[in-house]
Amino acid sequence: MSTDQPSQRSGQGSRNDAAAGHALGRRRFLADTGFGLGAMALADLLGQEGLLANPTKPSFEPAFNDLRARSAHFPPRATAMISLFMHGGPAHMDLTDPKPELQRLDGTDYGGEVAYSFVNRASKRLLGSPWKFSPCGQSGTQISELLPCLQRIADDICLVRSMHTGHNGHEVSIRYFHGGIPAALGRPTLGSWLTYALGSESRNLPSYMVLVDPEGHPVDGVSNWSSGFIPPLFQGTALRAKEPRIPNLVPPPWLAGPIQARNLAFLDRLNRRHREGHPGESDLDARIASYELAARMQLSATDALDISQETEATHRLYGLDDPVTKEYGTRCLIARRLVERGVRFVQLFLGGQPWDNHTNIREGLPAICRRTDKPAAALVSDLKSRGMLDTTLVHWGGEIGRLPVTEGEGSGCGRDHNGQGFSIWMAGGGVKPGIAFGETDEVGHRAVTDIVTPNDWQATVLRLFGLDHERLVYRHDGVEQRLTAGRSARIVDGILA
Amino acid sequence: MHAGRGSPSRFGIVILIAIGGLTAAGRLLAADAPLSFERDIRPILRAHCLDCHGAGDGFEGSLDLRQVRSMDRGGDSGPAILRGDAGASLLVARIRSGEMPPSTLKVKPEELELLERWVAAGAPTARPEPETIPPGLGITPEEREWWSFRPLVRPPLPAVANPDLVAQPIDAFLLARLEAVGLSFSPPADRATLIRRASIDLLGLPPSAEEVEAFVADPDPAAFEHLVDRLLASPRYGERWARHWLDVAGYADSAGATQDDPPRPYAWKYRDWVVRALNADVPFDRFLVEQLAGDELVPPPHAQLPPESIDRLTATGFLRMAADGTAGGGDPESRNRVVADTLGIVSSALLGLTVGCAQCHDHRYDPIPQSDYYALRALFEPALDPQAWKAPNERLLSLFTDADRARSAEIEAEAVAASQELETKQAAAIAAALEKELLKHPEDLREKLGAAARTAEKDRTPEQQQLLKERPSVNISPGVLYQYDQAAADELKALGEKIAAIRARKPVEDFLHVLAEPPGHLPVTRVFHRGDHRQPKGEVGPADLQVTGSEGETALPADDSTLPTSGRRLAWARRLTSGRHPLLGRVIVNRLWMHHFGRGIVGTPADFGRLGERPSHPELLDWLAVEFADSGWSLKRFHRTILLSTAWRQASLRRPELDGIDADNRLVGRMPVRRLEAEAVRDRILAAAGTLDPTPFGNAVPVVADDAGEFVVKDSIPRRSLWVEQRRSMPVQFLATFDAPTMQTNCDRRIHATAAGQALLLMNGDFALAQARRMADAALAAAGTPIADDAPVDAEAQGLAPAVTFAWRRAYGRSPAAEEAADANGFLADELTILRGAAAEIAAPTERRARALANLCQQLLSSNEFLHVD
Repeated sequence: MSTDQPSQRSGQGSRNDAAAGHALGRRRFLADTGFGLGAMALADLLGQEGLLANPTKPSFEPAFNDLRARSAHFPPRATAMISLFMHGGPAHMDLTDPKPELQRLDGTDYGGEVAYSFVNRASKRLLGSPWKFSPCGQSGTQISELLPCLQRIADDICLVRSMHTGHNGHEVSIRYFHGGIPAALGRPTLGSWLTYALGSESRNLPSYMVLVDPEGHPVDGVSNWSSGFIPPLFQGTALRAKEPRIPNLVPPPWLAGPIQARNLAFLDRLNRRHREGHPGESDLDARIASYELAARMQLSATDALDISQETEATHRLYGLDDPVTKEYGTRCLIARRLVERGVRFVQLFLGGQPWDNHTNIREGLPAICRRTDKPAAALVSDLKSRGMLDTTLVHWGGEIGRLPVTEGEGSGCGRDHNGQGFSIWMAGGGVKPGIAFGETDEVGHRAVTDIVTPNDWQATVLRLFGLDHERLVYRHDGVEQRLTAGRSARIVDGILA
Repeated sequence: MHAGRGSPSRFGIVILIAIGGLTAAGRLLAADAPLSFERDIRPILRAHCLDCHGAGDGFEGSLDLRQVRSMDRGGDSGPAILRGDAGASLLVARIRSGEMPPSTLKVKPEELELLERWVAAGAPTARPEPETIPPGLGITPEEREWWSFRPLVRPPLPAVANPDLVAQPIDAFLLARLEAVGLSFSPPADRATLIRRASIDLLGLPPSAEEVEAFVADPDPAAFEHLVDRLLASPRYGERWARHWLDVAGYADSAGATQDDPPRPYAWKYRDWVVRALNADVPFDRFLVEQLAGDELVPPPHAQLPPESIDRLTATGFLRMAADGTAGGGDPESRNRVVADTLGIVSSALLGLTVGCAQCHDHRYDPIPQSDYYALRALFEPALDPQAWKAPNERLLSLFTDADRARSAEIEAEAVAASQELETKQAAAIAAALEKELLKHPEDLREKLGAAARTAEKDRTPEQQQLLKERPSVNISPGVLYQYDQAAADELKALGEKIAAIRARKPVEDFLHVLAEPPGHLPVTRVFHRGDHRQPKGEVGPADLQVTGSEGETALPADDSTLPTSGRRLAWARRLTSGRHPLLGRVIVNRLWMHHFGRGIVGTPADFGRLGERPSHPELLDWLAVEFADSGWSLKRFHRTILLSTAWRQASLRRPELDGIDADNRLVGRMPVRRLEAEAVRDRILAAAGTLDPTPFGNAVPVVADDAGEFVVKDSIPRRSLWVEQRRSMPVQFLATFDAPTMQTNCDRRIHATAAGQALLLMNGDFALAQARRMADAALAAAGTPIADDAPVDAEAQGLAPAVTFAWRRAYGRSPAAEEAADANGFLADELTILRGAAAEIAAPTERRARALANLCQQLLSSNEFLHVD
């Protein structure tokens, strides 16, 4: 044995043994763990990693099993993150990465090799962007007319134009972004790692929340917020589009309000009468208290979702007055309210693949831009005006971009997948504002300068949170697991403020 | 394991119950006892120093701390101690400065103080030390004296002041201790409490109100005995107690270890075997022998097996429960992990020691040399050999009999005949269609076209191919026949379906998930240096742990010539079940005690070593272990002994005089109030709602992810929780929230936390809400007298009184007291008033009554009285 844990075979018992030295008698205490439905099931999960596992290489990283706020390895720049995940593959050469050479060569055959996904519809004919770019703000970052609101906050964002997954497929690259290994499904996601490492600042809300689109889940569904092999405590909690918005935490509408208040009062009377026959049973008192606590948590969740508390101006800022932007704007606004209340990691997904413009890009791309541009920019502006942007990292981006060549012909044409080079942007949380970092080649197919892989990005995000991606370890089945999975990962110093 | 993504857990401040008790601190003796190296100092050095200065092949800094003699001699830096002068002793100085030991785990101040006192006292030993000692730490007489290693002998019953309270021998042991501190047992619980307690304890389900009333009214003084016998005879008993055993066995319906967590589709057969064995009260020694060595009891070949042989092989599923990432064959690392995990399960379940700590080096606290670990491994290696590994799909044993095969062949012949008919008809239909089709083409081409179409594709000349390419419509394949002759195509399709139906009649090939040692396989087991399988060192033979017997007595034969297999596991299993094995007997009865009383006589059921808890009643533990074996290993008899004791029948009410002395109730001066385990909570809710489907056995009830990613029982199938799939990566949210384990290896003890997440699941969760509604519907249907649609709200609430009584009886097994009924009435009136103002479909009389009642039922299901048992 390498520690003084009496046993790590099966967890539950051992944990209590370890605690027994500090506990005087059979005393209950409030383990101030914030959220953790069934958190104690974790004991079993956590107790398992252990001695037999990897005897030659003891790990000194503690395993966490609660959501208490924890300090990072270094002083953090970011304490919360909102990820606007734009899965499907936003066409960077039409949005964020202008390519004059591509415009010049529009309609001619590309001389280089193209990495296609759909060979049956493949073409080598270059397609110049149908949209105009212009330099924006003091920084002069070139942004497309499709994103007018982003243009206005150009000086607040850090645009990375040299993302590279090396894989064109959606799933392969999405899993790479979330879990650290291309195509590997079921690994802990970035949000899980962050909440595992840092715990929660909120006692009453889940620390990792996912705001899903009423139109459905992204590809891979609920796996996008899986905690993989780390305990379910660190899994994302979905805020559903339909009621109850947070399963179990918020009552169904027909129960909410006075009915449930009366229910709980009745339950309390049942429990108090029962307690009269059981003097001194503090377990029973604890359960009575747990209902009171649950009710407070529920209230707090309901409060976080209640955007009617926001001003008219804020509603307009996020586009809640416009049916096109209302849905996404509402979610962006809720994301801010959650972070304000101490939620560590919030991720927004879109239903289906709205950025996956294989066909008819001339209509499809403006449509999804109209839906998301204003709310995304509003989020950054709003965080900034509230003084929250310094510590809140906003991320906007998909898992891939799109090819410079056309897919299909004529007005209905589109662009195929491109994991070789594409853009994302970030804001706040310690990234350098007002810069465009990295480059793709002259037509925008491949990242060529300052290439950033998802692993680099993950290492950098962790670094912004004060975490060393090499040291953030969870032992699973005897193997030290990391978000970056032991793959090559560098901190992208050039984008740190 | 990787298990756990799933869900459960998210909301909740956890209020947990810390189990206090006697721990390692107990080893520091009273200040006035004379100190000796062997008893007082060596354990400290063993924990902190001997790994480098004694256990290994060489000594760090040439310092050997195994004997005082060698301390005097010292190492490279000089003598380690100066007898009589702690201040001048290097050993003390190095520890005091924190320089030693180099690990993060330091010697505790009280241990250092002890060391100093011992050096100052002249470093006394208990006996003269030999000139030389063999390499390694060996096992000292003091270590053999540890309570759990001492030979098992039946202790005499202690005398008690109040023998009337001794209903069973166990009462004497408990009462003597209570009396020694001036206490006694609590008064007996009332009958209603007793039947609830007994029913939950033995069946995991509550009694019905009618059963409670009948028991309470039973004038027979032996009514409780009869009740216990009746409960023990219930098939629900095996389902309840199987859960306890499956916890320590680490039962799961999936293999874990890898991210895809592959299902184990036949694991449930082992689960069913456990349930059946418990219901049949298979003696525990046989129960264990079959799980450890059932395959060695069934002569090969394992085919055409009679039912008892199938049973024995099924039992070996126990040794196939470890998480296992070798689906693709596995690498040496993953195979060795499976072996290590299997040993981990077996040793924590049966030996109650953290044997795995000796995988890399001699155990730091307990006298388990590293070679002992590998001697245990040698017991399993012939069957679990990383060099001759069986991947998971190779562990499946087909139960197909010759008769099944013959029947299958017969049916296949029938299917083949029908297929021939189909082919003939198809050819004819295509030929006919072709003739018709040819008429649509120029007359001069018809002959050539027809010939080309009739020629098999691979035999066609280039000219024919070209011709058919130009006129593809004559190239009629079975797949497009329908475009030419729908009727013929339909007939052929029907014929195809008929063939499929014939084949579907074949007997289904069924499998067992077993551990079966290959005959004549005797691999060499070696100690792995530092636990690293890439560094095999000295050879070891099979043996039990040395501390379980006298010197040289624990070795087991490497090969039993009377068996085709090595016989190693069988020999060990028989040794374990000899009735006098010091660890097995104590470990098993301690577990049984824990399930009956909420806590074991030893609070750490998987650690009977120095870091575990000491037994609160060592003589009682020994008496139980001996009695259990000597009376034929009958579990049901054991349960009966416990339940009929005065101790078990005590009331749970706390008493100030007891709490003052023994707040932890380690003396068992009352029964504890216990929260139901996760499975019992879910099952009790289903029972109260009247939805519980008692169907036992068979394939696991599937678990699926709902739209938010939470894992739930598919289609809310209301079977008992035992039957619900235990996919390691998909813990059912409801069960996990109430502390059901997610298996990585196994679970030696449940915890019972109180968390806000549990409250939220009961307040808002789909399962609780749906079951409450079902309960309300049943209550409404049973209520009798209809209530007028236009009844005023008070009358409406009053009219629901029979439904309230029904709900109370379903939930608590009793009718409501007057005060409770009045409160319920007021509550319903209140809710009905609100609901009357709701939308039309809710405000409709029947619906609003059902809703109000459902709200009431939900609170009953969420209440302390429901979730706890006295």
